Amino acid sequence: MEKNILKFKLNGEDMELLVTPDETLLDVLRDKLNLTGTKKGCGKGECGACTVIINGNAMNSCIIPAMKAMNKEVQTIEGIGTAGKLHPIQETFIEEGAIQCGFCTPGMIMSSKALLDKNLSPTREEVKEAISGNICRCTGYVKIEQAVLSAANRMKGKNQVGEGE
Amino acid sequence: MNKTYSVVGKNILKLDSIEKATGTATFTCDMKLPNMLCGRVLRSPYPHARIISIDTSKAEALPGVKAVATYKNTSRVLFNTSATATFTIPPLVPVVDQYIFDSVVRYVGDEVAAVAAISKKIADEALKLIEVEYEILEPVYDPLEAMKESAPILHHSTESKNVPGEKIHMEMGDIEKGFAEADRIFEHTFKVPVQKQAQLETQGAVAKIGVDGSITVWCTTQTPHPTKRILGTIFNIPYSKVRVLNPPYIGGGFGVRIGLSAKAEPIAVALALLAKQPVKVVYDRKEDFIASDTRHGGYVTVKTGVKNDGTFTARKLEGILNGGAYCSWSTEAPGVLGAMGLSLYYCPNQMYDGHSVYTNTTPAGAMRGFGNPQAMFAIDSQMDIIAEELGLDPLEIRRKNIMRPGKPWVLPYPCLSSGLEECMDKGAAAIDWGRRGKLNTGDSKKRRGIGMGIGTHVSNAWPFCGDYSNAYVTVQQDGSIHLATGIPDMGTGSTTALKQMVAEILGVDFDKVKIAYADTESTPFEIGSHASRTCYASGTAVVAAANEAREKVLDFAAKTLNTPKEDLDIQDNIIFSQPNPKISIGLDETALKAHDQGHQFIGVGSIIPQNAPPYLAQFAEVEVDIETGKVKVIKLVGANDVGKAINPLVVEGQLEGGLAMGIGYALMEEMKYDSKGKQLNTSFEKYVLPTSMDITELQTIIVEANDPSGPFGAKGVGETGLVATAPAIANAVYDAIGIRFFEIPLTEERVFKEIKKSGIK
Amino acid sequence: MVLKQYVLAKSMDDVFECFKKYSGEARIVAGGTDLVLDLESGKVECNCLIDITEIDELKKIELIDENVIIGAAVTHNEVNKSDLVKKIAPVLSQACGTVGSLQIRNVATVVGNVVNGQPAADAAVALMALGAQAEVRGLNCTKIIPLEDMYAGVGKTNIDCVNEIVTSVKFPALKDNHGSSFERFAQREALALPMLNIAVVLSLKEDRTVEWARIVMAPVGPRPIRAKNAEKILTGNVISSELIEMAAEEAVKDANPRDSALRGTAEYRKEVLQVLVRRALEGAVASIS
Repeated sequence: MEKNILKFKLNGEDMELLVTPDETLLDVLRDKLNLTGTKKGCGKGECGACTVIINGNAMNSCIIPAMKAMNKEVQTIEGIGTAGKLHPIQETFIEEGAIQCGFCTPGMIMSSKALLDKNLSPTREEVKEAISGNICRCTGYVKIEQAVLSAANRMKGKNQVGEGE
Repeated sequence: MNKTYSVVGKNILKLDSIEKATGTATFTCDMKLPNMLCGRVLRSPYPHARIISIDTSKAEALPGVKAVATYKNTSRVLFNTSATATFTIPPLVPVVDQYIFDSVVRYVGDEVAAVAAISKKIADEALKLIEVEYEILEPVYDPLEAMKESAPILHHSTESKNVPGEKIHMEMGDIEKGFAEADRIFEHTFKVPVQKQAQLETQGAVAKIGVDGSITVWCTTQTPHPTKRILGTIFNIPYSKVRVLNPPYIGGGFGVRIGLSAKAEPIAVALALLAKQPVKVVYDRKEDFIASDTRHGGYVTVKTGVKNDGTFTARKLEGILNGGAYCSWSTEAPGVLGAMGLSLYYCPNQMYDGHSVYTNTTPAGAMRGFGNPQAMFAIDSQMDIIAEELGLDPLEIRRKNIMRPGKPWVLPYPCLSSGLEECMDKGAAAIDWGRRGKLNTGDSKKRRGIGMGIGTHVSNAWPFCGDYSNAYVTVQQDGSIHLATGIPDMGTGSTTALKQMVAEILGVDFDKVKIAYADTESTPFEIGSHASRTCYASGTAVVAAANEAREKVLDFAAKTLNTPKEDLDIQDNIIFSQPNPKISIGLDETALKAHDQGHQFIGVGSIIPQNAPPYLAQFAEVEVDIETGKVKVIKLVGANDVGKAINPLVVEGQLEGGLAMGIGYALMEEMKYDSKGKQLNTSFEKYVLPTSMDITELQTIIVEANDPSGPFGAKGVGETGLVATAPAIANAVYDAIGIRFFEIPLTEERVFKEIKKSGIK
Repeated sequence: MVLKQYVLAKSMDDVFECFKKYSGEARIVAGGTDLVLDLESGKVECNCLIDITEIDELKKIELIDENVIIGAAVTHNEVNKSDLVKKIAPVLSQACGTVGSLQIRNVATVVGNVVNGQPAADAAVALMALGAQAEVRGLNCTKIIPLEDMYAGVGKTNIDCVNEIVTSVKFPALKDNHGSSFERFAQREALALPMLNIAVVLSLKEDRTVEWARIVMAPVGPRPIRAKNAEKILTGNVISSELIEMAAEEAVKDANPRDSALRGTAEYRKEVLQVLVRRALEGAVASIS
């Protein structure tokens, strides 16, 4: 089996590593790079727990060959905010009780971010569609959707403040 | 009496949320240890077979394989994966009918062997090299079939053919007299499906053997202490040398791992013992579907005698549940079915008979609600049948018969609080109950209806099995508080709720309280999270511990301040005299003074809980497409009497999740088998649980009836969200199209068949 | 067979070079959402995967000479969100928005959906109703194949996957007097394979006579099925609810769904099929403003 050099941007940082043809992006993130925030819920692209953002689009990393990340920009949950400096979506998820067991949470937040990065005024239906590929068994989705809508407002507010300065 | 508290009753943010939101929360599947091997399991392709021979030599020879385990080289101690076997109350004897591996396999997916290798790829290769010769045995899949003379025997039973443990019998009053007094008698049988927890993190365990033969297991169990005991027993190691812990988070549970996480822990330990290296066993999603406990499906029969004015005179309930291939919780679930079914309504003459039956299907164990959702689909569907026959409003006939505090019932503890009527009234208002029966005009192909269901549950597992909790609290030298309790964190928020209780009692800021949890090494025996018990039962122990610490603090402070102890209170981290607040001392100063005198304030709580009934009422508005049979829930209201909401935001989240799971139970979810005993729903795509697009409007209403036996008045919450959803939806469908269903889920095809039969156009 | 290499092709030349180098053991991968799983399970084996999603000429959605051309690297989501497709082939836009989940739609390609040969592939059902053809390139020749002729059995197409590549699908843009509609029936609203899906495209003359109609139904056979007799009933007649009802009834006769333990009995699906074909026809007529 030949190994290839995979070059891509991960959470803003340039990465270069050797991957085999059968490795998925999820394998690379969790096993090679020890970024275990992205979860494996099913390994078949059916639950969304492994959702990452590639060139602005939400995707299931468990069924994406690692090589597909070549020259692309990949964002994972670890890259969007930390305990000291949370992303607005992380803030609202925490504040609105949208997190219970937490296993679906990284994927949910990434799907939500992919939506809000393109649309800061989503309808509730648009939020539902954005997370429709993310299964949650704990919350019934209610507080998750509310948190996304709140985050949109918060992000809009931040933008407006920026424009006023 | 609704007191105002400083911390209890507030939406304190959960600290675990921050780790979970930033991807820094560690779950079992995230764990890596030096030299750790990957463990994978070989599973039976047959529903019932004897292993004639098993040859692992080729697998062992594969480079990278460090151990292969079968029934020949692993423990031959019988056990029950469920925690119940560790707290069955004598004279009952726990049913132990499982080995790690046996020489007989009893369902498709049953464990045959396992391999530990340096990578998953190699382990999976090795599994293919294990040669097994099977002798096919006759299987049986339906519980009614399995009880017949001609059925194959799965396990020997002291009770009757293929019945695990003992049959449950409960009674109150004189059932014959009760039926004799009735004006009308109704009897119906209902069929309920097998539902799967489908929690997002699959079963998993990482096992490490110490140089002294001690075992450490990080795993997904909901009950670290009982699991420790099960493992100590299986491997014949003193319990003191077994450490079980969550790492610290669990990706959901819903009952699938009360005790062992299917066989993840014992297989990981067995492989680690053989390989002499740490081993990680994580079930893939298919294994989690086919080889870990499900909810019990089965048959529930309700026979009710009523007066013409709707008053109950007699109720006889029967439950025959499909226990699957191994006992797990099959001796308790029928008990809860009966007890919850009979205790919800007041009726002077009642009887219940129920039991499980072994079949060659995935073992049924514990799933949220534990027999109660099964009971309530039957009972509250029949309630509407009775209401219609007698010409009574379904809301009013329920109001007439609901259990009320002080009345007798089948349970060994008293009913001390009930907010059920308030739940019914508030829920009815939220759905606008008056619209019922009036929603359809003309001949639209989409018909709407409104229906309701009610329910109760428990606040811990007594009397169905043993229940007790321990906790201790220490005041640190700087006035901060350390709490030790063996409960897990699977997302229910109880680690936060218990801290709130401690902060309230010791009068400190919430963030001064730190909790050690989920680790048997650093906490006293605690049953763990099941039976909706952590706030009520674990909470009672925590409250006792905090109160004892508080008493010791006040004793010391009274001496220091030279003030009567009865005058003292603690608020905002300061101990002060209530009549003269200027007389005060900080808790930090007090603790340090005590330390200088060679003393730390320690409070211990060792309690056996009472029990208390939470109550709930659910109201559903549905829309039925009569051309396709598709049922859509337009709005679902769940009103819950939780006693006292320690953290209202957390309570809402639990209830909302329960309602969504209830919609799945009522309309979509069903584990099915083919004619060869093979599971059909082996993935998230094939198992139809709700996505965000399937949930429209959910509304939760919290009612607080303040139970005197619960910490701060709290009662159980976790399982209540889906107890009454199925009857609420089925009754709403009846309002919409006039067709009664005796089987769920109400899938499109099931509904369409009945619509076609009825000739509705 | 072990997967030895993963090639990111930059041009069509790269593709054919790879085909040659691995002589029969190299396969095209576009989105890979089906292929990756088939490789993992061993259902498919190959030595080399040729990823075509970076080839510029395959990434386009174009309108050329009144024909819409969708390249092999175009994803479901790109088609669903494309203003052009929404305007001149709304049935395809709709169909592409129903597949799997947003994450899947961001990766899975429309052409891949066709080549995979599954009878209920939503995009393929819509494309067939649009009268689509596929451009298939081999080393030395290029063929144009109507979609209907591509199917060779459940999950199989006539494409020689180790020597040929489908580079695009092409169909005539709909005009103002053309209506289209897509009906999908599934057990839940996302992450669900369809129990039934139907695409209708039809043309009405000014006097409301049906000029032509294409009714495609799935999964009611080993491939998406054209309800040709139902189409005949419509053609040349003035559209009316009675006519639609007759056509829907006729369409069911061409349907032969299997009993599915997971997704419904054949009997049930045939009953619902009639309702959905009717709704699709009504929807297509209504879409002509």
